[in-house]
Amino acid sequence: MAILILPAGLFLTAFVAYPLFLLLRDSFFEVSIYAPTEGLFVGLDNYVKALTSSRVLESAQRTLTYTLIALSAEFALGFGAALLFNAMGKRSELLRTIFAFPLMIPPIVAGLLWRFMLIDNIGIVNHLLETFGVIADSSDISWLGDRDLVLFSVALPNIWLTTSFVALVLYTGLQNIPAELIEAAKIDGASAWQRFWRVSLPLLRPVIAVVLIIRGIDAARAFDMIWIQTEGGPRFASEILSIHIYRNMIRYGNVGEASAIATLFMFSMVIISAIVFFLIWGRGTSQS
Amino acid sequence: MKASLAERATLFALVTLIVVVYVFPYAFLVSTSLKPPADALAIPPTILPQRISLENYSNIATFPSVRQSFANSLTIALLSTLITISLSVPAAYAVARFASMAGKIFLIAVLITRLIPPVSVGIPLFAIMRSLGLTDTHIGVALAHSTISVPLAIWLLASFMEGIPHELEEAARVDGCSRFGALFRIIIPVAAGGIAVTSVFVFLASWNEFLFALLLSSTSVKTAPIAIAEFRTQYGIQWGTMTSLSVVFSFPVIIFSLLMQKRIVAGMTMGAVKG
Repeated sequence: MAILILPAGLFLTAFVAYPLFLLLRDSFFEVSIYAPTEGLFVGLDNYVKALTSSRVLESAQRTLTYTLIALSAEFALGFGAALLFNAMGKRSELLRTIFAFPLMIPPIVAGLLWRFMLIDNIGIVNHLLETFGVIADSSDISWLGDRDLVLFSVALPNIWLTTSFVALVLYTGLQNIPAELIEAAKIDGASAWQRFWRVSLPLLRPVIAVVLIIRGIDAARAFDMIWIQTEGGPRFASEILSIHIYRNMIRYGNVGEASAIATLFMFSMVIISAIVFFLIWGRGTSQS
Repeated sequence: MKASLAERATLFALVTLIVVVYVFPYAFLVSTSLKPPADALAIPPTILPQRISLENYSNIATFPSVRQSFANSLTIALLSTLITISLSVPAAYAVARFASMAGKIFLIAVLITRLIPPVSVGIPLFAIMRSLGLTDTHIGVALAHSTISVPLAIWLLASFMEGIPHELEEAARVDGCSRFGALFRIIIPVAAGGIAVTSVFVFLASWNEFLFALLLSSTSVKTAPIAIAEFRTQYGIQWGTMTSLSVVFSFPVIIFSLLMQKRIVAGMTMGAVKG
């Protein structure tokens, strides 16, 4: 067994664990990006600074809100699509292929495209909303300029881009459920709702756990798409943690403080993911 | 048990509607790319071009660095897929089959690598690549991209492999097949669909990646997303050319994914239990 894991283990040690060690070390030093080898040991100072900074705490709050918006929309839409494709069976092949199109778009392009579509006066989204009578004038909604709305707006390309991923993985999981099990439940008189709830859903638990964790983590770490749309603005309203860390590290050169925030960010994600993992996957395996 | 015609028609209409909504932004991108450059920001915006023009596409030719960036992206994505799949298939098999302590620790370690904000790994990674002499090389960027995709691939492959009945391998082992034999003769063929799906995602992850490519490819191996992003900053946002560039950039990926689609469907529907 060890020999199967060894190559991947060595690779991740050299190119992930070792950089991670450097990150942890830097979080206890005052380091400038211009002189990365000359650090001054400052103990927990960087952590104290991070946890008492209102800008860091607000970024953390925004990261949570953004993740919940993106993840719940992607999962609800993706699961819905997967169930519909599954109901259609093999005839859904062409539609699934077309549905997967957004997956093939680079995040940078998705960010630029949505920025283009959401331009206040001349964007196609507001134009269509005006045409259908949802808003009176195409300048009524300032998608990327309204501080209360911008977190939702910057989530749109993320939702658009990855619903297909959620749908395709869940569809594959649904197709992997042996038809015999569904047939047996039908013969026993289970309704479609019962078959979904008692047969399909429990069997899908591992796949659902993987999808939720992967997508949740990716939404929480989002960078390119938000950066390309707003650079975290207006007035930090879409500055989530990854953007704050980037700015702190690259623009301001505070490697130590940025490393401390990144470390805290990472540990929070480990704890939240562990809870999701044990709630979904753990419970599913103990029942079987 | 067969659904009625009306039910099937409703289902088809519903699915088609969802697909249309999801395709609209992309269709609008293609449509905008076919307008004369000035019409990209016309007031009011039109969904279809008023006049077809290929000027946005011919404009791409005036940027020679763009063509090179496409070749770089292809090389790097293929290298990264090769590295990731060869590392992840055996690891995923071990994780899926042996619920030992070491396996659990490994899975947690893999999970942690998925949690790290790329921006914080990028800086120390750049220093490591520099000391290995791998900055601004295809293999350097491909390795960096593999740090993102190896954990994803192990997770996906493990979830696919868990669906494979133990009985298949046990039968093979009773017949004298070794663990490795079982991996290559039973697991990999049965999980081929899952491996195909995973390969597509790994390829796309590398093709689309932005931050590591930005940090590790200063000049000679610049990838297409970087070229597109720089295109934006250097000349202001030329929406017209931006859209044609995006269409060209997504074209090879669409073809690649369409070819894989057959494997995805065939591999995942013809499970070993039925086969």
